[in-house]
Amino acid sequence: MPASAPESSRAAGQKSTAVYTNRPVRRWLRLFLFYSLVMLLTGAVSVLFADLLWRSGWTGTSTILLILFVILFGLISIGCMHGIFGFFLRTFGDPDRITRLGDYKSQGIDGVSVAIVFPTYNEGVARVMEGLRTTYVSVEQTGQIQHFDFFVLSDSTDPAKWVEEEQRWCELVRELDALGRIYYRRRISNEGKKSGNVRDFLSTWGRRYRYFIVFDADSVMRGETIVDLVKLMEVHPQVGLIQSIPALVNAESLFGRIQQFANRLYGPIFIAGLNYWAQDLGNYWGHNAIIRTDPFMQYCDLPRLPGRKPFGGHILSHDFVEAALLLKENWQVWFAYDLEGSYEEIPQDMISNAQRDRRWCQGNLQHSLVLFGRGLRGISRIHFLMGIFGYLASPLWLLFLVTFNWALWNFKSSELSVIVTRGLTTPFLKLSGKQHAFLIFVICMSVLFVPKILALIDLAFDRERRRAFGGLQRATLSAVIETVFSSLHAPLQMLWHSKFVATILLGIGVNWGPQKRTANGIAWSEAIRRHWGQTALGIAWGAAVWRLDEATFWWFLPVLAGMLLAIPLSVFTSRMSLGARARSLGLFLTPEEIHPPSELDTLRVRMALLEKTQAPQPANAIIAEAVLDPYVNAIHVSLLREKQLNPEYRDALAKLGVGRPEVRELAEKLLGQGPEALTTDEKMLVLSDAEVVPWLHRQAWIRPSKALATWWQAAIRKYAR
Amino acid sequence: MDLSLESALNAPGTPAEPSGNIAGRALDEWNAAYAKVESYFHALRIQNKVLLGRLVIHVLKRAMRRAPQEPQLSATELAGEEMDAVVTEWFGQVLQEAPVSANHMLSTRGRLALLLVDMPGKWQEQFLHPPPWPEEFIKAMREAYLRAGPDFQLAKMAPRPLDLGPIATLSNLSMLPFRKMIIVWCGLMLLFVALFIVTHNSQQNEHLLNEFLTWVRNLFH
Repeated sequence: MPASAPESSRAAGQKSTAVYTNRPVRRWLRLFLFYSLVMLLTGAVSVLFADLLWRSGWTGTSTILLILFVILFGLISIGCMHGIFGFFLRTFGDPDRITRLGDYKSQGIDGVSVAIVFPTYNEGVARVMEGLRTTYVSVEQTGQIQHFDFFVLSDSTDPAKWVEEEQRWCELVRELDALGRIYYRRRISNEGKKSGNVRDFLSTWGRRYRYFIVFDADSVMRGETIVDLVKLMEVHPQVGLIQSIPALVNAESLFGRIQQFANRLYGPIFIAGLNYWAQDLGNYWGHNAIIRTDPFMQYCDLPRLPGRKPFGGHILSHDFVEAALLLKENWQVWFAYDLEGSYEEIPQDMISNAQRDRRWCQGNLQHSLVLFGRGLRGISRIHFLMGIFGYLASPLWLLFLVTFNWALWNFKSSELSVIVTRGLTTPFLKLSGKQHAFLIFVICMSVLFVPKILALIDLAFDRERRRAFGGLQRATLSAVIETVFSSLHAPLQMLWHSKFVATILLGIGVNWGPQKRTANGIAWSEAIRRHWGQTALGIAWGAAVWRLDEATFWWFLPVLAGMLLAIPLSVFTSRMSLGARARSLGLFLTPEEIHPPSELDTLRVRMALLEKTQAPQPANAIIAEAVLDPYVNAIHVSLLREKQLNPEYRDALAKLGVGRPEVRELAEKLLGQGPEALTTDEKMLVLSDAEVVPWLHRQAWIRPSKALATWWQAAIRKYAR
Repeated sequence: MDLSLESALNAPGTPAEPSGNIAGRALDEWNAAYAKVESYFHALRIQNKVLLGRLVIHVLKRAMRRAPQEPQLSATELAGEEMDAVVTEWFGQVLQEAPVSANHMLSTRGRLALLLVDMPGKWQEQFLHPPPWPEEFIKAMREAYLRAGPDFQLAKMAPRPLDLGPIATLSNLSMLPFRKMIIVWCGLMLLFVALFIVTHNSQQNEHLLNEFLTWVRNLFH
């Protein structure tokens, strides 16, 4: 039975316990200070806004506008405070971070066993395996490889991906001579999605490892960083989870490079600000984090939420909830925000980015059910709220704009003239109505832009970092362009997120379908298909506002511009050529682009080589390999047989229908009519049968051509030279 | 390894062949069988052409010997079966394991071992070669295995119930460790609301505010 946090800390020695003695009080003060300033800023500006509404004549819509303003301004104030606090902490030093709370560098890790897990679900197999290879080699170079086992945890439901994963895993193991160090496991059913995948790993092998590190399919980590995380866990026995902060890397399109630049430039001050109030009650982002296995296994098996989808069922965004459950049981969760060497990739265009947001949106909205869970820490509720409002803010902003338009239309149709009365600010500022409105606008813009300006000042003070971004001038110019781009992108995000929230709440699924891309980026036809609605809305909305009041139209132009330019913006920012052009002009440079760490450099070179040498395979080609290739077939069958040793997998396979005569009939159909005659599920069933797969191999090679589908005849001919 | 097909073709008791036939099958049929056997050895990454030719002939010779007794089977089927038998028998000898016809365990194990010892790169000349084999090769073949995971250490993870009830929550809110903070923040917000109401509700309030502001100004002057 795993020990609770205090028992565990006693068992592991008191080395760092003293550090935490006063922590709850200090954290309380930090939280109070941070959110009190947020409240003060929000309250003061809200009063100013309410005053403006009062001066123009209070109506029913004024109340709605005020409520929405308070919420929306509160949210941007939180962002602004993160920037301000983070800036000061970075400038004057932040002693309260996990890397400063104990001497972890000299900590040994003898006797420690760590699993590094790569959950994958129909992802690009080559990229997953190359990411693993890079991380493995990097850990090997630390001389500590003996403490680490690597697992590819596949949940893939595409038969081609499954076979390719096995094939590439075997190649990797052979090339790195890592048999017994790098493992592969595919689940029979992907129940519980990623959290279910990790849970299945823990149920099978979790007890072997003191810690496990979760990767995403596109994650890479430096070996030294991984070892540092293990050392930190060893030094701080009360810590249940440490989240590293992944830097966005490897973007090539203009969109990707802009996002990457923003992440690298603004990220550090935001995360320092977040760490200021979160401290040991941090959060988990689902990957690039080290987790203490025992408490995680004991407390973090997620319950199914009551009710139907979208809120009921499996918890989709499991990470926040898992962190909350650890915190509930008095385990600490930290952000190790100053550890470099943790990386992830991002979508290369606006449409892919929105697709990812759709998934995250549902997961975050689902947290509203957990928000009031009994016994959760207050800070966990704040983390949940911030995640929920990350998406809910969009429909609220849309509602604010629509309400404003409604009020304008109401006023115009009443044919009354504006009479601005005296207000709270009148005795001090003597502002006209327009000046008053402009003042609020300037404050809102300042709150939005202050963190960006502070990030640039932070850069200006740091010579090494300045060089890493290609110089202050280039970074400033890039930040200005990034700000213009994000201003155009924000209204589109607003429309997308509003749609996501609405469809999720109504229980309507969104089918994105396959994306049409050219080698250079999004095709024009695809952009028109995805953005025509936003553009049409922008035109209609703009025309309506123009007709109502020309002066107001110009205030609305920044919002409308994004909608009107959605199609070209989507196409051009997805272009790899424009990304490369911007790079050659010294725009959006990041430290990893100017001086790529060896692990990223190796990954980039290997991926480029793979792209050149391995042409994309036609559909079902990998099925042919699983059946015909003597080695691929042998790997697949061996893994199926090994799977049978696990009683749970054996039962699951039996439940699936493996071993029944129907599978042999399907296999006959596969040989006689080719893979097109079988559904994906049928192919998966055939490929899951450890008796049928070698039988297929033998039959395909001994039967005369006329007894095989023409598809097989063509596949066999490929082996003739 | 006998490379001549003559022994198979001129076996005692073999009736005279019509022109263009070999072992009772058309030449085209044997050509198809040859191509298929050759393709299989290609699939096993046998790159040496001399070796490849020898192996294909060896398999075909066995198929031709069987051909007269099994007229219902095509040349390709016979060659395919013989190819499978030759390879599996050889695996049995190298791995010291008896072939079991019902399952394909030996064939799978053998092919996997060939891959793991890198037969195409290091030991091509040993493939289907009769004993004796180099010690290193035998050892590598017999020890070759593929483990997809370490030994299981099965454990049961059980989800703990999470009380999500709103009534429980309402009572729980009062137990929040940050309740004092929340009270202060609510007070702060109320202050702003009060400030707004006082300054906007009536002329009397406005008068009061003006007096208050004058007092503040005087205070600083």
